[in-house]
Amino acid sequence: MRKKSFDFGVLFLLPGLIGFVIFYIWPFLISLGYSFVDKPIDSVFVGFKNYLDLFKNESYLMSLKNTLIFMGICVPLNIILSLLAAVLINKVSRYKEIFMLIFLIPLVIPSGSTNFFWKSLFATDGYLNYILSLLDVSKVNWLESEVTRYVIVFIFIWKNLGYNIVLFIAGINNIPKLYYEAATVDGAGAVRSFLDITLSNLIPTFVLVTIMSLINSFKVFKEIYLLTGSYPHESIYMLQHFMNNMFYSLNYPKLTTATSILVLIIAILSQALLKYERRKSV
Amino acid sequence: MRKKFSDIIIISILILLSAIFLFPLLVTISNSFMSASEILTNYTSKRLIFDVMDGISKKFINIKLLPGTLTISQYKEVLINQPSYLLLMMNSLKITVPVVIGNVLVSLLSAYGFTIWKWKYKEVVFLLYIIVMLMPLQAVLVPNFIVADKLGIKDSYLAFILPGIFSPFGTFLLRQTMKAIPYEYFEAAKMDGDNDFKILLNIIIPQMKSGLAALAMLVFIEYWNIVEQVVIFVKDYYKEPLSVFLSRISQDNISIVFAASCVYMILPFYFLIIGQKNLEKGIELSGIK
Repeated sequence: MRKKSFDFGVLFLLPGLIGFVIFYIWPFLISLGYSFVDKPIDSVFVGFKNYLDLFKNESYLMSLKNTLIFMGICVPLNIILSLLAAVLINKVSRYKEIFMLIFLIPLVIPSGSTNFFWKSLFATDGYLNYILSLLDVSKVNWLESEVTRYVIVFIFIWKNLGYNIVLFIAGINNIPKLYYEAATVDGAGAVRSFLDITLSNLIPTFVLVTIMSLINSFKVFKEIYLLTGSYPHESIYMLQHFMNNMFYSLNYPKLTTATSILVLIIAILSQALLKYERRKSV
Repeated sequence: MRKKFSDIIIISILILLSAIFLFPLLVTISNSFMSASEILTNYTSKRLIFDVMDGISKKFINIKLLPGTLTISQYKEVLINQPSYLLLMMNSLKITVPVVIGNVLVSLLSAYGFTIWKWKYKEVVFLLYIIVMLMPLQAVLVPNFIVADKLGIKDSYLAFILPGIFSPFGTFLLRQTMKAIPYEYFEAAKMDGDNDFKILLNIIIPQMKSGLAALAMLVFIEYWNIVEQVVIFVKDYYKEPLSVFLSRISQDNISIVFAASCVYMILPFYFLIIGQKNLEKGIELSGIK
């Protein structure tokens, strides 16, 4: 039966695949082509010149650095915090649903709906600084200084913790109770069995959580943009700002070159993630 | 006794965390019943003439958890006096509904195709889906723009509705969910001579209801919240969805901002309440390898 030459069901792939090629693959190839020429019309092939130029461009380097720093903070922090919260929530079985609902709420609230609240909270003469002034602490420039990065990290965690909690709780509940019982019989303590059983069985979940956190760490741009506009403080000037600004100034060579490099980075990253998952979860 | 005690500590920690998480929401809801003048006094740091007379030299924005007087005037203003608000909400629906329906359908078919496809290199094709899925929106915008230009749909919603329909995230999510269904099901159905449509309808869809609902919800939330694409593709003010309008009133017209925000989040909120179980279960399934 398995050897049957052709499955009609494979044709179900076609609509999706055709759309995917038209709207993503084909334009990505065009954009890759643009990165090797000087301008989209009447173009002259310039080889890797755009790439070399881009790596000398300060605002590009800054945005790349900021994006990496931001992800380096956000993704692990979000994973650790949500794992902790998931373990805690899992312990209080009676109110589990309510707590999960509460932590999921920020995910569904549109960014525009909370934008005004965040502004009122973090503005120079906003509410946080008002509280600080009551404590005789001088104003902090929450939205236009080095601190801004951590404000955005906070908003990111606020928005995305819930989704990861749901993933982790699902993962934890998938681990057979038997494993824990066996470990208790063997004399393992709570910490030991958490490390040996919970963590090692959660590896597929970790991969999924990492993928989702990466996607969402790019999405936080919406909040940054609504809060601080096109040219924010340089500590949160992200790749997306760079690309947005290149888009508006119609600087196609820079934009398409930056896109191509990003595709390359993400390709390597996702390949590594999937390899890791396959190796660990046999 | 010890168990009880640790439970109390855990619940207190969680309640404290919940309070922090809910604070922005609670303020937005309660302040939507605040009068325009109270908002102007509390949420601007500009000194009014009275403040100057009172000798106040420095003023801060004051976030109030409860309004002084309750009024529904903000809602009246948003829903009745500003008909544009409802028009813009219709725009949001016109964008979101086709993307949700289209994306769920296309993703379901693609996930099914990927599951039964036996080609050696299908994982390579799937890797392409994952790479595009991980790209930030800004990187995808240029390609979107290029295609929209070539297809001549640059000035219509189609410029971002179509890429939304074919966005690879749904295929990824549903394929993960489908992995939870034992492959024997497919084979048994095939033996019985069922065709693929029947298998999809009678076997797959009933087992994937949560996954489908979860996907619909996530896509809805994302496109209800659409900002970047609109800024690039939509030139006419009256064609904008609510999401973009809202970021503007938080600068120009703060006297109705809370009510406008609340009305805007009713739908996603409603879907979360009725769909929480599905979201959890749909994701749960996709967690299983």
